[in-house]
Amino acid sequence: MSFVRWIFFIIVLVAAGCGSITDDLTPSGEDKRPEVVAGSTGHEVGQLSPDFTASDTLGNPVTLLSKLATADAVVLYFTMWCPVCDSHMSHIRSDVMPDFPTVTFLMVDYVTGSVSAAYSAQTSSGYADFSVLADVDQAILDQYQATMGTTVVIDSSSTVLMNEDYKDGTRLREVLEGLP
Amino acid sequence: MEAWVSRINMRLTFWRPVLITMAFLSFAPSVWAASCCGGGSATSLILPKFSKAMVDMAFDIERYDGFWNDDGDHVPDPPGSDLKQYRLNLGYAQRLASRWQASVSVPYVWNNNRYSALKSSTDGLGDSTVSLWYEAFDGIQCVWKVKSPKDLMPAAYFGASLTIPTGVSPYDDVENSFDITGRGFYRLDGSMLLEKTIYPWNAALQLSYGTNFERSVNREYGRYVEPYDKKLGERVQGTISAGYTYFLESMNSLTLTAAYSDLQEDHGEIDGRTDPTTGFRKRSVAGILAFATMDRDWIFKLVWSHAIQQDGWGENFPTTDIMTLGMSHVFR
Repeated sequence: MSFVRWIFFIIVLVAAGCGSITDDLTPSGEDKRPEVVAGSTGHEVGQLSPDFTASDTLGNPVTLLSKLATADAVVLYFTMWCPVCDSHMSHIRSDVMPDFPTVTFLMVDYVTGSVSAAYSAQTSSGYADFSVLADVDQAILDQYQATMGTTVVIDSSSTVLMNEDYKDGTRLREVLEGLP
Repeated sequence: MEAWVSRINMRLTFWRPVLITMAFLSFAPSVWAASCCGGGSATSLILPKFSKAMVDMAFDIERYDGFWNDDGDHVPDPPGSDLKQYRLNLGYAQRLASRWQASVSVPYVWNNNRYSALKSSTDGLGDSTVSLWYEAFDGIQCVWKVKSPKDLMPAAYFGASLTIPTGVSPYDDVENSFDITGRGFYRLDGSMLLEKTIYPWNAALQLSYGTNFERSVNREYGRYVEPYDKKLGERVQGTISAGYTYFLESMNSLTLTAAYSDLQEDHGEIDGRTDPTTGFRKRSVAGILAFATMDRDWIFKLVWSHAIQQDGWGENFPTTDIMTLGMSHVFR
């Protein structure tokens, strides 16, 4: 039995030593953000965002440029209707949106796959008052290399001002407060 | 039950992919075997008294079905979604001295998520846990009859567990939230376990307090960001359980245990500011069926943990059902 015990112990150690580990064991606070060429097109902060077209959950076609034409900025929040997303969206609704009436907030549903399913998820989650885009083929998700909780701010000149996780919303407020 | 604490990571570790990232926090009464009397109850990876070592293997199937929002209301998942996580948990416990023992547990995690618009299957190591336990008693505390007040004394354990972020977190080089198998934070838990068996009945109480350590973050889902410091909230967990043991003619035993657990994690901090979007609460119930051989060297367990999908039973956390099959072997 002692042989079995040691074999098991070795398996545990090997398992612990392998795998995609990870920066978490020794976290870094070094700023490694890439340099960006101003005026280039892309999803990084400082780049110009390409336009996109999608349907909202009411079936209306929406383009980025059309939204930018009537607002100081557009905020995109990528949701998969999860607890984290819900907490973020609730915070956006109560703590951010009221202070920035000239900014357009769009939630981007990239998981449900259809306008009707996105509308169903939106209403059952309690966000019927939000503007939600149905990113049916994940084109917007891919365009910004986003994932759950990613928050993108684009100003009226199509420049990306923010593209990162929502976290506690402080960074989003700072960016919006810096709008001209 | 310390395993409950250790598993928290795994569960959270994945929540739909991320929360799934949040992780992993919940609990199924663990399949860890034996407590002081040698098996059957829903306790942690704790060695029975007078045994030298123990190996433990358990396989979890966790199915996600909605979540509680910040207000405690239960919200369904999007239409067409099917979210599961599978975990293989390997554990080893070693006696260090007559009253001291240590253990390590390592999970391997498979995330399997299907939405109407996309599918994702990923896997990786989860967050690992090492523990040290002190037994505040010298003899077997299980009795058949109460003949004196001394017979009522429970077995008391005091433990410390360190969760090590060996899993894949949002701060690693990952593409999206579906890749996540760990939370990315070191955490230290202090636990107290009281356990008493008066055959054929047993009862246990475990209380735990955990603190997450602050860390630097310079990357989120593979994208480098302006560095900041993040700390998850303090965590409190309580679990009570009661069970009945039925002895077969062969003196093998079957123990049926019911458990209730309440887990809370406070708001975290980012650069010293309170993050109101974090923190959670989960309350769950569980049933455990354990078979132990006559010598209590082998224990097999079947565990079902259920989060009640109604308003008020949790906050900011997914509701899941967890089925666990486990096996432990004790070395005398």
